[in-house]
Amino acid sequence: MAQVMMKDLNKKYDEVHAVKDVNLHIRDKEFIVLVGPSGCGKSTTLRMVAGLEEITAGEITIGDRVVNDLPPKDRDIAMVFQNYALYPHMTVYDNMAFGLKMRKFPKVEIQKRVQDAAEILGIQELLKRKPRQLSGGQRQRVAVGRAIVRHPQVFLFDEPLSNLDAKLRVQMRVELKRLHERLETTAIYVTHDQVEAMTLGDRVVVMKDGWIQQVGEPLELYGKPANKFVAGFIGSPAMNFVDVKVADANGALWAETQGLRVKVPPIHTSRLVPYKGQQVTLGVRPEDLQLASGSDPSEYVFDAVVDVVEPLGSEILLDLRAGNSTIVARVEPTVRLKVHEKTRLALTPDRAHFFDLKTELAI
Amino acid sequence: MGGLTQVRPGSVPHGPAQAPAGSVRRREILVAYALLTPAVLLVLGVLAYPVAWEVWISLTSFASRAESRSFVGVANYRTMLADAFFWRALATTVVYFVVTTLAKLAVGVALALLLARPCRGRALVFLAVFLPWAYPGGVTVVAWYWMLNPPLITSYSVAVGHWKHAVDGVAGAGAYTFASVALFNIWRGASFTAVFLLAGLNAIPRELFDYARLETRSAAQRFRHVTLPLLRPFLALAVFLSFTTAFADLANVWMLTGGRVIFPVVGTYAYWLGIRSGEFAEAAAWSLSLVPLLLLALAVLFRWFDPPREAPA
Repeated sequence: MAQVMMKDLNKKYDEVHAVKDVNLHIRDKEFIVLVGPSGCGKSTTLRMVAGLEEITAGEITIGDRVVNDLPPKDRDIAMVFQNYALYPHMTVYDNMAFGLKMRKFPKVEIQKRVQDAAEILGIQELLKRKPRQLSGGQRQRVAVGRAIVRHPQVFLFDEPLSNLDAKLRVQMRVELKRLHERLETTAIYVTHDQVEAMTLGDRVVVMKDGWIQQVGEPLELYGKPANKFVAGFIGSPAMNFVDVKVADANGALWAETQGLRVKVPPIHTSRLVPYKGQQVTLGVRPEDLQLASGSDPSEYVFDAVVDVVEPLGSEILLDLRAGNSTIVARVEPTVRLKVHEKTRLALTPDRAHFFDLKTELAI
Repeated sequence: MGGLTQVRPGSVPHGPAQAPAGSVRRREILVAYALLTPAVLLVLGVLAYPVAWEVWISLTSFASRAESRSFVGVANYRTMLADAFFWRALATTVVYFVVTTLAKLAVGVALALLLARPCRGRALVFLAVFLPWAYPGGVTVVAWYWMLNPPLITSYSVAVGHWKHAVDGVAGAGAYTFASVALFNIWRGASFTAVFLLAGLNAIPRELFDYARLETRSAAQRFRHVTLPLLRPFLALAVFLSFTTAFADLANVWMLTGGRVIFPVVGTYAYWLGIRSGEFAEAAAWSLSLVPLLLLALAVLFRWFDPPREAPA
């Protein structure tokens, strides 16, 4: 059990500055997820914690020890890799026992730990097999088991579910969450999949180009994204962005562009005053758009034409065009609209987001 | 091509719809045989025929001086096996193989591991390591020959002469020659083995080594429990290649000993018998005597470089 601290962490390769001034305090027993597009520095950060990459500058503390100069084996961490990293020449049992054997644990202790872990993961009957005789899901379980037997202070997961098919991924995701609740070990989990990040993380760290963009609980990231990148990255389908001009009319602020004009919701008014006459980015999530009914206040309603209809069963995604802008709306499955049909959309005023056009920070 | 696509095995025939299924099937089989024919001819022509011819020769009295050629059964083999010289040549060949293979593997693995780590100027080092193998053998052999048996009288050649006498004095006549041939083989083969094993190392997923770095206590542990077992198929293939070069080695031994058979491996003696003495039948028997050994080695090593696959669960 341990907390992990990263202080002004930097990683530079010859020409690439992969991780930039990362500061992160991971609490004891916390499940934290690093998420971002490929090349954002999330895996490099994890590998620095593991000791597989040298730290260019900054400091990493695990528990109360600074681990910068500790070799990986002494950091008391266990890592699960994307490609499982199981040794093909060893049985499942030997794979799980490997770390303990190398550390000269007594045989009885090894046996007990492997049995316990196998039981937790339901892989007792696979212990004598070789990895190539296992399915992808089974291999992933073995890889997790191999980490569990070590009783480490911190679990490190490097995209552990990326090689599984969609259905299995969802299933393993739930199992990992359950496992974490049971073991109560600090975990750092790297993924590029924002759904995984949202569902697994106590807190989520969104990264891009080596910078941390935002750290927060999943719903915090979703509801109050710090910038346009986080807003677009979290949530699927992604948030709609429309560049609009802030205009003053009839004593109120309006966000307008060609073919689209909505009132700036009251909660945003004061913050948007300085932007009067300037361009900003309006962000609206697909679920915050609905087909307008008579009761919707008309200042939040605009015209749109249906481009594509994607019926998903539980919901329908509509790709629409409003003026020059393309917009996705998530509507009730009962809606019956055809391509090229004209309709009117209403946005939920409290859920609109505004971003500075240059800094892309939330306003 | 249009005609071929219609009979591709496994495809649904979409030729004349009226044709009965049986005739389509028959045509597919005919085409399959037609496609196989070139490969079969090639194997028969360049492999089966020469080998069969050699086997046949070894059972006759074929020789350049013999007036007639007659079937003599296994007489040539009997003579060979009764010849103490054959056993000496075989023993030398085996020792030659074992010594050079072990040395090549040791040097090759070490070089491969060094080359596998990224460093500045790695391409140059790689080139330097690969040069002994890439450079034409004939030229390098002459260089080695002159180095070990200097053709001109200099202080160097005198020193080498003394050295040679010392080695032969301690280890028996021919030891110096044996050492120089072995050394050349190792020098040349280690470079090939290194590059070969480097390819092997690079083919192993990096995560397997990452995991080892997290879980092992020393580099030695890592090497023994992870690197060596993972390299095993490549090591087995390297041993097999070394085996075939050692057992079939003629050119290097021949050139390094200046054509004198003071270093009788089976290959050189077979050449001596056949080409120099015209004893074709005996020479055939000698070279064929290696076949069982090669097959045995292949059978053993094959399990290593292509381990049996159990059916997935």
